[in-house]
Amino acid sequence: MSDYSVEATGLTKYFGDYRAVDHVSLAVPAGSIYGVLGPNGAGKTTSLRMTLGIIDPDEGTSRLLGGLRPQSVRARIGYLPEERGLYPGMKAREAIAFMGALRGLDWREGRRRAATFMTELGLERVIDTKIRKMSKGMAQMIQLIGSIVHTPDLIVLDEPFSGLDPVNQERLEMLVRRERDRGATILFSTHVMAHAERLCDRIAIIARSQGRFEGTVDEARALLPMQVRYTPRDQADPAAIAANLPAGAELRGAAWHFTIGDGDVEPLLARITASGHGVTGLSISRPALHDAFVHIVRQVDAGFVADEARDAVEEASA
Amino acid sequence: MTPFIRNILVVARRDFLAIVATPTFLLFLLAPLFMVGMGLAGGMGASQLADKARGAGRIVVIADPADIAALRDADRRLRDAFTGPDAPPPLAFRVAGPARIDPAAITREKGSDTYAVMSGPLESPRIVERNADGKSGRYLALLAGQVLRDRAAGPVAPVKPRFESLQNGGASIADQQSMGFGAIFIIFLLTLLLAGQTVSSLAEEKGNKVIEILAAAVPLESVFLGKLVGMLGVAVLFIAFWLAMASGGGLVAATHVDPAAIDAAGRAGRAATTLASMPATGWPFFLGIGFLYFVMAFLLLGAVFLGVGAQAGSVREIQMLSLPITIFQVGMFSLSAAAASAPGSDLARFAQIFPFSSPLAMAARAATDDAKAIHLLALGWQAIWVALVVWISVRLFRAGVLSGGGGWKFRRGARVAAAAAASVEAASSQSR
Repeated sequence: MSDYSVEATGLTKYFGDYRAVDHVSLAVPAGSIYGVLGPNGAGKTTSLRMTLGIIDPDEGTSRLLGGLRPQSVRARIGYLPEERGLYPGMKAREAIAFMGALRGLDWREGRRRAATFMTELGLERVIDTKIRKMSKGMAQMIQLIGSIVHTPDLIVLDEPFSGLDPVNQERLEMLVRRERDRGATILFSTHVMAHAERLCDRIAIIARSQGRFEGTVDEARALLPMQVRYTPRDQADPAAIAANLPAGAELRGAAWHFTIGDGDVEPLLARITASGHGVTGLSISRPALHDAFVHIVRQVDAGFVADEARDAVEEASA
Repeated sequence: MTPFIRNILVVARRDFLAIVATPTFLLFLLAPLFMVGMGLAGGMGASQLADKARGAGRIVVIADPADIAALRDADRRLRDAFTGPDAPPPLAFRVAGPARIDPAAITREKGSDTYAVMSGPLESPRIVERNADGKSGRYLALLAGQVLRDRAAGPVAPVKPRFESLQNGGASIADQQSMGFGAIFIIFLLTLLLAGQTVSSLAEEKGNKVIEILAAAVPLESVFLGKLVGMLGVAVLFIAFWLAMASGGGLVAATHVDPAAIDAAGRAGRAATTLASMPATGWPFFLGIGFLYFVMAFLLLGAVFLGVGAQAGSVREIQMLSLPITIFQVGMFSLSAAAASAPGSDLARFAQIFPFSSPLAMAARAATDDAKAIHLLALGWQAIWVALVVWISVRLFRAGVLSGGGGWKFRRGARVAAAAAASVEAASSQSR
């Protein structure tokens, strides 16, 4: 058994001439929670579909659970598609058992586990309710249960949090952690950074069809310099204070905002202490994943805009 | 049970239950009742009409009183040879008196249809008839001739015939051919009624997006085959229900009729079946193989319709497809029917080999040809085609619908966007 549950390399997909996914690679360590982040339309869903073998990549390969073809390990995979879908005429318990049966689970066992899961998630009221009578969020929870009811080794969730209220989002996070503790590997996509920040061991960022970042959440946050907020006790002479701080420090209200590199923390503290202006507030923190994500996506977009601007100049001069 | 077959059964079970466990299915199941009811009402009305008309018809002879007895006698004897619809209308007489009776006036009399009127001497009668060259006029002429012949020959001893029925096994070819045609018609009717539904059966999954769950969890081949098997289950349930109704109805009818009548009917029935002869392969084999060919016809046509329907983007497109589908089925029916009426011909061989008419044509062949091994070959051949059609449908579906993300329309949009993106890219690469 290899250390990776998902090894997808160089996945490429064309829709007509448009390259929807361009050499995206994913390596998900076994037993981890892995997030695929990206703005809308970046190619997350198509990448996941190719990884699971639902559509064939034009280039690249995908191997799951130790170098096996996706089609040969279907029973060990759980998948929640981005476009949610259940048979509206089915009762919740049956729908879950059906999804389990598709993956090779015994019907009776599936029904039993369905009831257990639903009770656990506070859905015991609707065990025998038809899907069409449920709210969208409820149906989504049902489908989520259906995609993990057969205790899969690899769970792939496409935008699992969208459409859920905060309470259910919390429950889902709990469920994901529990599945990981059971030994499953979880790969999910999202564009809500908070979940990724709380849950993920590693993340990949896809923007404009290409992989732009791969690493831990901390590594992503380390892409940006640390942010400092400093409030001096002595506010008398802003120019004197600014002289002690790095260039570009900005005064908003009583606090100065600026960024520093990793190695500059101690020298900064020494300078502030020595300056004699005093300290009433000081915070030095890593930027949130949100900022790192926006930073990466903006950079990619800026590259495209620059290209287009150059093209425009080119065309005008031609 | 292999995972492949288990997957098929999971999908089939879902489809079967989803179809059967609805109030609409009851309507579907009972629909033939309306058909039978309408047919009965219409048939009864028509037969009553016909009966009335037949009862009111007559033919009239205006004859000398001396001739009337001879004519009546001849009429009784001749009538024996005509039965059923061939029987001439009842014969009525008018005595020719000194006053001349106008035949045309008789035909105008109210109360009954007069088809022909004969008057004048028997040697050269004048026959007025409603339809030129009608049967009634010729019958009257025959009657006159018979009376004259009787007179010339004098009394003849009545013929005492002894009737014996032909009871050897030599079955009539015509009967077997009509049996084959019957098999074709029944299979055609059932597939027409039942297989057409498969065209829309993937629309549900495409509409409610379940298709992605299915495609992720099981091979698409199992999805397609599972849907076919589910629909086949519905069809078999439908047929079993009506077979049970028919036999139940037969039993109930039997208990209401007195035993003597049953006995008589039984004897008559047995005589009728021996006379009507058996299919060349025997009844049990013929019925069994007929059922198997129905299954094959259903799977073959169903697979084609499922594959075509899977490509359709909307309900409207599916509705548009129902006409070509019906025409395709009728075409296969005509081909097989033509083949059944000419067993052993090149056309018949073609219809038996061509995969989509093969089940129909081979069922007809089972009625006229006593070779049995050939049916195993045919079933295998048809099964290969079912697999082939499903395989092609799945390839088309994967390539077209699934890869497109949002179906055909999305792809077309994507292509336009892609063309724009490509031109931008080309321009930028030139600039570098």
